[in-house]
Amino acid sequence: MKEIKFVLNGKEVSVKADPLKRLLDVLREDKKMTGVKEGCGEGECGACAVLKDGVLVNSCMIPLGAAEGSEIITPEGIRDTEKGKCIIDAFGTAGAVQCGFCTPGMMMATDALLTQNKKPSVDEIREALSGNLCRCTGYDLIVKGVQIASERGKDLW
Amino acid sequence: MVDSYRPKDLKDALRIRGEYGSTPLAGGTDLMVRYQSWAGTLPLFTNSVMFVGHLHELKYIKKIENSLEVGGTATLSMVADHPDTPRVLRDAVLSIAAPALRNNATLTGNICNASPAGDSVCALYALDALIRLEKNGSSRELPVVEFITGPGRTLLGKDELVTAITIPLKNSSIDNFTKVGTRRANALSKLSFTGIADYKNGRIDSIALTFGAVGPTVVRSVELEKKLLGLSRAELKAGKESILSDYSTVIVPIDDQRSTAVYRKKVALNLLDKFINEVADYE
Amino acid sequence: MGSNIALKEDDIKGVKMAAKISIPVLRIDAREKAGGWTHYIADYEFDNLQHGRFLRSERARAKIIEIRKPDFPEGYYYIDASDIPPGGKNNIQMIKDDWRVFADGDVRYIGETIALILGPEKQIVLDLLNQIEVVYEDLVPSFTFQDALSCKGGAIHGTDNIFAEFLLNIGDVDNAFPGAVRVVEGVYETGFQEHLYMETQGIVATWEDEKITLYASSQCPFYIRKSVAGTLGVPLGDIRVKQAATGGAFGGKEHFPDVIATPLAVAVNKIKKPVAMIFDRIEDISFTCKRHPGRISIKTGLDRDNNIVAMEIDTLVNGGAYESSTPIVLQRAIIHGLGVYRIPNARIHGRAVATNTFPSDAYRGFGAPQGLFAIEMHMSHIADEIGMPVSQFKRKHFIKTGDITITNAKMHDDVKLPGMLAKIEEMSDYSEKVKKYEDDPLRGIGLSFVNHGGGFTGNGEQAVIKGVVKMKRLEDGKAGLYVSVVEMGQGLQTALRKIASKELELDYLDIVYDNPDTDIVPDSGPTCASRSTMVVGFLVQECAKKLKIKWDEGVGAEAEHVYTHPEEFVWEQETLQGDAYPSYGWGVNVVEVELDPFTYEVKTTGVWAVWDVGVTIDETIMQGQSSGGVIQALGYASIEKCELKNGAFMQRTMADYTIPTSLDFPEVHTVFIDNPYKYGPSGAKGAGELVFDAAPPAYAEAVQNAIGKRIYEIPVTPEMIMEALR
Ligand SMILES: Cc1cc2nc3c(=O)[nH]c(=O)nc-3n(C[C@@H](O)[C@@H](O)[C@H](O)COP(=O)(O)OP(=O)(O)OC[C@H]3O[C@@H](n4cnc5c(N)ncnc54)[C@H](O)[C@@H]3O)c2cc1C
Ligand code: FES
Ligand code: FES
Repeated sequence: MKEIKFVLNGKEVSVKADPLKRLLDVLREDKKMTGVKEGCGEGECGACAVLKDGVLVNSCMIPLGAAEGSEIITPEGIRDTEKGKCIIDAFGTAGAVQCGFCTPGMMMATDALLTQNKKPSVDEIREALSGNLCRCTGYDLIVKGVQIASERGKDLW
Repeated sequence: MVDSYRPKDLKDALRIRGEYGSTPLAGGTDLMVRYQSWAGTLPLFTNSVMFVGHLHELKYIKKIENSLEVGGTATLSMVADHPDTPRVLRDAVLSIAAPALRNNATLTGNICNASPAGDSVCALYALDALIRLEKNGSSRELPVVEFITGPGRTLLGKDELVTAITIPLKNSSIDNFTKVGTRRANALSKLSFTGIADYKNGRIDSIALTFGAVGPTVVRSVELEKKLLGLSRAELKAGKESILSDYSTVIVPIDDQRSTAVYRKKVALNLLDKFINEVADYE
Repeated sequence: MGSNIALKEDDIKGVKMAAKISIPVLRIDAREKAGGWTHYIADYEFDNLQHGRFLRSERARAKIIEIRKPDFPEGYYYIDASDIPPGGKNNIQMIKDDWRVFADGDVRYIGETIALILGPEKQIVLDLLNQIEVVYEDLVPSFTFQDALSCKGGAIHGTDNIFAEFLLNIGDVDNAFPGAVRVVEGVYETGFQEHLYMETQGIVATWEDEKITLYASSQCPFYIRKSVAGTLGVPLGDIRVKQAATGGAFGGKEHFPDVIATPLAVAVNKIKKPVAMIFDRIEDISFTCKRHPGRISIKTGLDRDNNIVAMEIDTLVNGGAYESSTPIVLQRAIIHGLGVYRIPNARIHGRAVATNTFPSDAYRGFGAPQGLFAIEMHMSHIADEIGMPVSQFKRKHFIKTGDITITNAKMHDDVKLPGMLAKIEEMSDYSEKVKKYEDDPLRGIGLSFVNHGGGFTGNGEQAVIKGVVKMKRLEDGKAGLYVSVVEMGQGLQTALRKIASKELELDYLDIVYDNPDTDIVPDSGPTCASRSTMVVGFLVQECAKKLKIKWDEGVGAEAEHVYTHPEEFVWEQETLQGDAYPSYGWGVNVVEVELDPFTYEVKTTGVWAVWDVGVTIDETIMQGQSSGGVIQALGYASIEKCELKNGAFMQRTMADYTIPTSLDFPEVHTVFIDNPYKYGPSGAKGAGELVFDAAPPAYAEAVQNAIGKRIYEIPVTPEMIMEALR
């Protein structure tokens, strides 16, 4: 057990845990950030996606100790921001949400993409979402959701 | 439960490594999956762990004269994004998983994992990459072909860390990396191929041909490559069948849950065939 | 929650209105899910929660000689069949009850539950589990159709390993075959398929208010209630099941949750503490039901004018070690066996066999995809043999309104296939491309036609389900809707609200409809068989009409509506004769591909779909069903390989069992045609499974068209293509 500090959704936090505990478990269990989902626990699905120091990563493969001192943003950290609302609304408009289990991760991937590329093409969107698996939608309407977010949010990113 | 360490800098890391022989953990994308246990429990590490992914001294890529030096903790995304990264390596790295994984996983980790299906490894074999190993007080450099000795096995000393990968930049005229995965993206390799070649005065001056996931390590035969040096386009074309038959003796894949030995071998040879044609038809 | 969601202007813009109800609205659950507010079962919190893990069989077929256990620390339990209370049964009440809660004395498949280990600390539970040693005496296992039919190692089920056997017949096959001038035969095979819902299986069983209450990721809360009550030997009302938000199901959460719920309930009954079982992904892929593998042999006789005069089909499906819903899956496979074609003389023999593999169960399509793949490929093979364009040959045999079906009933539907074919031609340029690709060794295009019967087969809705829905006027001009069908991603919470609000002339947001709780809602049946919108939606519509009449009675006014079978549809269950389904959804797909000649990888370059689902309740929701169903089906047809090795699935991780990513397939171009069905809400028919059925044969046809070799099997892997081209 160690006391480990990092910045979570803009606030400095400190967690007492084994540094080898998965960041995913720390976020879900210790910090009750259940917007971070576990779809596979093996890096395949992107349901556990968070931003670490500004880039998209899968929290199921990161031990807490490797996140020490870093800035972590979970779906809880962006859903109430202008950007988050924009993505959520766009997903709603497009019909991008079905069972919704993949969707918070999709929101994180969308934010990461739009941060890098304000006006991505369909191919670029599909590439950026390729690590976020969705079994319900077949992706078409998620791609559309990202397009709508990029259009509506052109002044946000 | 095992101990874990978070060194403050490289020096500290080398000290810890020397003292406890802790397993370096960079991106964790191999280790955390390999030791994965029930969600909510700790991964099943048996040796102590040392986090190295945060070591800033090693998080760099730079061009030094005619080489590209990739720092020991540089991520796959950094490698893909660098303008001087050779094309086959960039293609190989971009064929690995998806953005979120590449943002976190390191090139060093992909090499040290020593999987015959490691995609960057297939390219690095062809590029004659050198692995720099450091320990408290000394360092050495090994060609990647020597560094990796078998599936999951390397010459990494118990007290050493990989601190850099040096890739000679050759500016080859003809190159190709092809990955055949289990699906079109975010896929593990059924097999992979890298080919690099160049002519001088109408004759093959350099050539490298490597095959991933068709043997216990990435396959490269310097002996067979030597036979190709000095060939003209016409000779290469004429000798194609015999080259393919030579290579069919060194490509010895297996059946597993991802593909069959027959398929792997046939496609590896097809890709070689295609590359030889490309080389023979160049210009 | 969710009530203050305002629809943006663009939410309605640009939608072609087929019927008013089709205009998309903002899905009621979209915002909360997207932002991660929605709680799925793993997100719930319980005091004093215990964590459970199964001790599973490592052998496909063996006697259990001994189980050696370590000492269990205080608070840790080993729960097995001996913990089932007196009056209870070590059986899971599904359709039959042969599946055991706990293996007892012997094991019949790898992964079978032997015991449940539980306690407060997961790590200690794991350590205990690892110390348990089961001593087996191996028996001879049986895995393949051949093993099963020859009763290798002795019968697993009954005396002959046959879970179910049916024979369907129309016309006179034996007399018709001799008149044929040409006979074409083929054997068609389909593989296992894993549902791979993104949320793994999970249930928490608790002891609340002196009652066992289960919170479940589930399609069918009342199935869980029935199975748990049966196992414990208590009245149904003693068990309460609350559905948790469900992260995808596709049939995988129809019966399988019973396999988790029953052991958990036995434990809770004993220890009176909440116990959670949330599967890890590896556990979920390795140890949950898959789609039934099928082997379908077809023999067809043609006359001089290339009309089909007779067809004989033999259908086999692998049910695994226990029966589960296998007989009904088989029924659907054979009833859909002739596809969309009118065959004057046909005989279909179907058998479902028992093997020592993980029990197969419901998966979107429920047998129909296997039957439809076979008939569609076979039709293309005949066309190839006689040198007629596939579309022409298929079209020539289209069933028409009033024609006789394989169950000797009239086709009641207004069949619009010719128009749908014309539409997809226009969208995809199919026939032009067929010509263009004739001499192109790398490109190909395929065309498939399907139908899918909505609701339970035959009189199941009447005889077995008898669905009930209730509505009630609430405060503030709102209305409560009480049904047992669940939202699992398909958009039902939005669709049923729209249906109810249309009749009540309310805003759809003013319909209150929570995840079902068996103590509150009536049993309107399970969420499956494409029945929720068509059948339950119709009950909701009729119920809303009743409530509308009583609306002025004020707050508290209630209405109830019970299913009644339309009289014009008759069915005899014993002989499977009559109207198998009151209506069908219809579909046409075109898939276009390009082959890499060096790696034999196939790139899909175009996908088109035209559907007749009556009327869409919401165009956007149906668009999502179309894209999602087609892509899932293309996965089944191409990359979703799931093989057995000595009774265990070889692909156990998401890295090895590969489902489509955003880069595997292009956009699905979808069009819905209007064809209202009189007993569907606003004319809607079943749709959720239909959208899965058509893509596999279209894909396989496209590949065979590209490589110039016939394809008989899915998934069509690059390995198979290489072999075919040798
Ligand atoms: C979902 C998923 C998809 C993947 N897809 C692909 C793919 O398509 N192609 C492919 O090639 N790989 C793939 N991989 C594996 C790939 O992610 C890893 O090989 C990755 O590159 C390892 O880097 P890492 O930093 O995460 O390594 P870690 O897991 O941290 O470590 C890997 C190994 O390297 C050692 N190591 C790390 N740093 C050092 C150092 N500085 N000195 C000495 N030893 C060190 C570790 O001790 C360990 O043995 C995939 C993995 C996952 C989870
Ligand atoms: S749970 Fe982390 S990638 Fe699937
Ligand atoms: S919406 Fe269900 S997995 Fe994406």
